[in-house]
Amino acid sequence: MSRSRANAAFSLLVFVLVFVYGAAVGTRVASGAEGFRVIVNLDNPMSSMDRRFLADVYLKKATRWPSDEAIRPVDLGPGSPARRTFSDEVLKRSVAAVKSYWQQKVFSGQGVPPPELDSDSEVVRFVLKNPGAVGYVSSSGNVAGVKIVAVR
Amino acid sequence: MGWTLGDPESPSTIDVHGFVSQGYIKSTANDYLVDSSGGGSFEFSEAGLNFTVQPLDRLSIGMQLFAYNLGTSGNFTLRADWFYLDYRFRDWLGIRAGRVKLVYGLYNDISDIDAARTPILLPPSIYPLSNRDLLFGVQGGEVYGYARLGSLGGLEYRAVGGAIDIPLPSQIGQAVEASSVDIPYLVAGRLMWETPLDGLRVGGSVLALRLNEDVFFPGVPADAATESARATLYGAIGSIEYVAHDLQLAAEYAQTRNEARELAPTPTRAPTVVGSGGYALATYRVSRWFQPGAYYSFSYANRNLGSQSAPPAPQNDENVQDDLAGTLRFDVNNFWIVKLEGHYMHGTEALGGVPTAATNWGLFLIKTTGYF
Repeated sequence: MSRSRANAAFSLLVFVLVFVYGAAVGTRVASGAEGFRVIVNLDNPMSSMDRRFLADVYLKKATRWPSDEAIRPVDLGPGSPARRTFSDEVLKRSVAAVKSYWQQKVFSGQGVPPPELDSDSEVVRFVLKNPGAVGYVSSSGNVAGVKIVAVR
Repeated sequence: MGWTLGDPESPSTIDVHGFVSQGYIKSTANDYLVDSSGGGSFEFSEAGLNFTVQPLDRLSIGMQLFAYNLGTSGNFTLRADWFYLDYRFRDWLGIRAGRVKLVYGLYNDISDIDAARTPILLPPSIYPLSNRDLLFGVQGGEVYGYARLGSLGGLEYRAVGGAIDIPLPSQIGQAVEASSVDIPYLVAGRLMWETPLDGLRVGGSVLALRLNEDVFFPGVPADAATESARATLYGAIGSIEYVAHDLQLAAEYAQTRNEARELAPTPTRAPTVVGSGGYALATYRVSRWFQPGAYYSFSYANRNLGSQSAPPAPQNDENVQDDLAGTLRFDVNNFWIVKLEGHYMHGTEALGGVPTAATNWGLFLIKTTGYF
């Protein structure tokens, strides 16, 4: 009995070490992807934002701006390079891991994910239309009419 | 993911999500969950459909319809898995009333959602699938919140309270029939500290419930045909999880204490049963479509080492369950998953301690889920 448990624990340890190595390799591969800029409505007084707060916004743990206005985050589609970079650098999870997070929330009645829009211009239009909105676009996207905020 | 009814740029849309799962279970020996030995079994199906709408700024309403079949349980009976009115005053305070998922450990509230996890079977030491009617949803309410702690991370807390109505499986022809089982009250809570290290959270859950059961013995003289029993169950889990990029590591340890007494026909106090168990789990997404995972889970049905009034519980293969599991998850596309899973099992605790069962056995599962 104790031998089978020791063998099982050893097998799991080997598995974990392989995964940790794979995670390190995977993180290196992810670097160098397309950049992004975070945007808010011009009426929003914020000029910079803490990265963890922004992550909480996109995971809907934070739902209110300091002014008590409701926050309305908006995502780019899962295939967007800017979405991948945003997910890795701000949420510290891959797009697929974030999708898994929302599957847990959606099917346990804990919330629904931010809407996904197909292009930078649609995200800009959404942010223009909604005073509480926050979005991100690719670093080359046209951001006329909205405000870029720095992420600390 | 999902359908949006109405203008997707408006906050008052109806979000619709659903899933359908079909599985196959085959064991090398012993029937586990279903008639899994012999030719195996396809009696392992789930389907759900949910709707969520936010009619007001802080108010949301949701409902999930759910049906499943697992051996003699479920039988595709459609029921409300969860439904709620949710009012979120602040990020640190929200209330929810209705039928809410029971928060207990890291994953209890997704135990019946195949798409939301890597393993087909969550570690049975903490999340036994045989408990799905007992401990998944609560009619009552929930208080929840999330408090940011600045450089110290954040605190996520949830507390639920209410009652559980337990549907009884078909028992026609059985020697013993449970004529009623109910949980008149249950309280549970979870506190998780989201540490300053991104993706690392640590915390614990507690649970207390009362279980009432009336058992009927067909063919027995009337004065002894019905037994009534009452049990009080306490549980606690310590949890740790680390999620970073495509890596997920998790470990939990739980203890339960079951204090039962027979009320009729003869009032008797049963020896206290102290169960324990835990697991360590790892998954890694190698690519968008491939995610392997593995866990080791162990449980003891009774660790009670005895007292002056009660003998110690036997510490043998019928009292333990070791489970070493490996899963391959394939995300074929954004709406379809296929999973393969193998388990090496030692012990028969998960079978209810059947003494004649094989103590070393294997379990193989295939499951496919479509979702949106």
